Amino acid sequence: MTTHIVSVGTGRFGKRPEGLIDLAAEAAQRALEGIGRKPVDLLVGGTMLAHGPHGSEAFLPRLASRLSLESAAGFRVDSASGTGGMAFQAAVLALESGRFERALVVAAEKMTDRTTAVITRELASSLHASEVAIGATMPALAALVVEQYLQRYQLTTGVLDAASVHARAMAARNINAQFQKPVTAEEVATSRPVALPLRLLHCSPISDGATALVVERGRGPATVLGFGQGLDAVRLIDRADLTSFLATRIAAKRAYESAHLTRKEIDVVEVHDAFSPFGMIHIEDLGICGAGEAPAWFEKGWAALDGRVPVNPSGGVIGRGHPVAASGLAEVAEIALQLRGEAGTHAIARTPKVGLAQAMSGIGTHNFVTILGREDA
Amino acid sequence: MNASADTIELSRCRACPARFLPSDGPCPRCGSAESQLYLSPALGRVLAATELVHPAAGWESPHRLALVELPEAVRLLAIVDGELPSVDAVVSVRRDGDVYRARGEPVSPTR
Repeated sequence: MTTHIVSVGTGRFGKRPEGLIDLAAEAAQRALEGIGRKPVDLLVGGTMLAHGPHGSEAFLPRLASRLSLESAAGFRVDSASGTGGMAFQAAVLALESGRFERALVVAAEKMTDRTTAVITRELASSLHASEVAIGATMPALAALVVEQYLQRYQLTTGVLDAASVHARAMAARNINAQFQKPVTAEEVATSRPVALPLRLLHCSPISDGATALVVERGRGPATVLGFGQGLDAVRLIDRADLTSFLATRIAAKRAYESAHLTRKEIDVVEVHDAFSPFGMIHIEDLGICGAGEAPAWFEKGWAALDGRVPVNPSGGVIGRGHPVAASGLAEVAEIALQLRGEAGTHAIARTPKVGLAQAMSGIGTHNFVTILGREDA
Repeated sequence: MNASADTIELSRCRACPARFLPSDGPCPRCGSAESQLYLSPALGRVLAATELVHPAAGWESPHRLALVELPEAVRLLAIVDGELPSVDAVVSVRRDGDVYRARGEPVSPTR
């Protein structure tokens, strides 16, 4: 049974005064406006960091109540920073079962009401206990991955700077992105160190935000052609290779197979560049380019809106902002906008037929790949 | 069996070829609970290292961590005592309660 995205609801990512449910409801209402009075019988939602007064225990009931969707069924999913990717795939599976007609998928995060230290500790909950025990944080482990990547391909940190410059240039065209100003390579290279060699502008920011979309049975400009997910060892020391994410490779293989497509047919990608070098690793793992070839994509403009395969036209996690649970869904939403001709100022140069969204949990522990395409793709 | 300053205790699975850290519990490769401790030279090669300027709460800045490969491809993440080691540097490692610590030749950060 085929499904397609019929409406996308996005709000601005960044520092927002609203709380979690308000942010989720804003995106949801925008998505619902796009379908008129058609009924929604399934609500799939996700949030990672909400707890206590933020309303973790009742995220779905609270949201359903705000949206007058009490008659719908609901599932809440949780996969850390990959939550949005998981939520979308769960909704598609539920629709494919034939039990539901139309799903509203919502992923939201409220982060700026806590200190950086608290957020850092909460994000580290997706790491292995033995890693937390030595004081490792998400940026610290990302830095170890980066060191391996730079060393393997004999690169300098200049490639990291180029990836961040790309992300911020894309974001500057997207009014919903957290960062509206482009940056220069020098600004990236001289931003304050976080976990060397990673500097502040190589890292995704702390953000509030939500994304919603409506999926229903049938075909349209943003039809779900295929999807897959992959898991990997939580501990970095249990992975044979840190310059590639096995979870992405597995997810991509399954997605390409289920879509009966190859990487050559992908016109645009949104990948989860939580740290700037991850965008490079992701496009290599997706087969968009070969191992070690990704730096050239960011240095030579092949990832730009008019490039070979545009990468992260929304600005990606680094430029668009990173309300963690929402990011995976924002990636799917961006591909839907591109295919539906609704991307506006950040539309890619050529009209795409097929696009791919990749979401990542933690440091690549559970990744999701979704391929969308026009009905005639 | 007690590790001296020159050696470190590692685990050898009895059911498969895996070698791993005693703190791992069951074999991370096959799940077998049958393992045997052995002593390995406490020297490893740095695969990657980082310096956290703003470490997690409770740690002093800068906090340095290294991914270290011991003989027979056993890997561990260690807190670095002293200067940040360069990639491929040889460091000595020791167990300190629940964590591992590494110390190497002083090398100034290149990045």
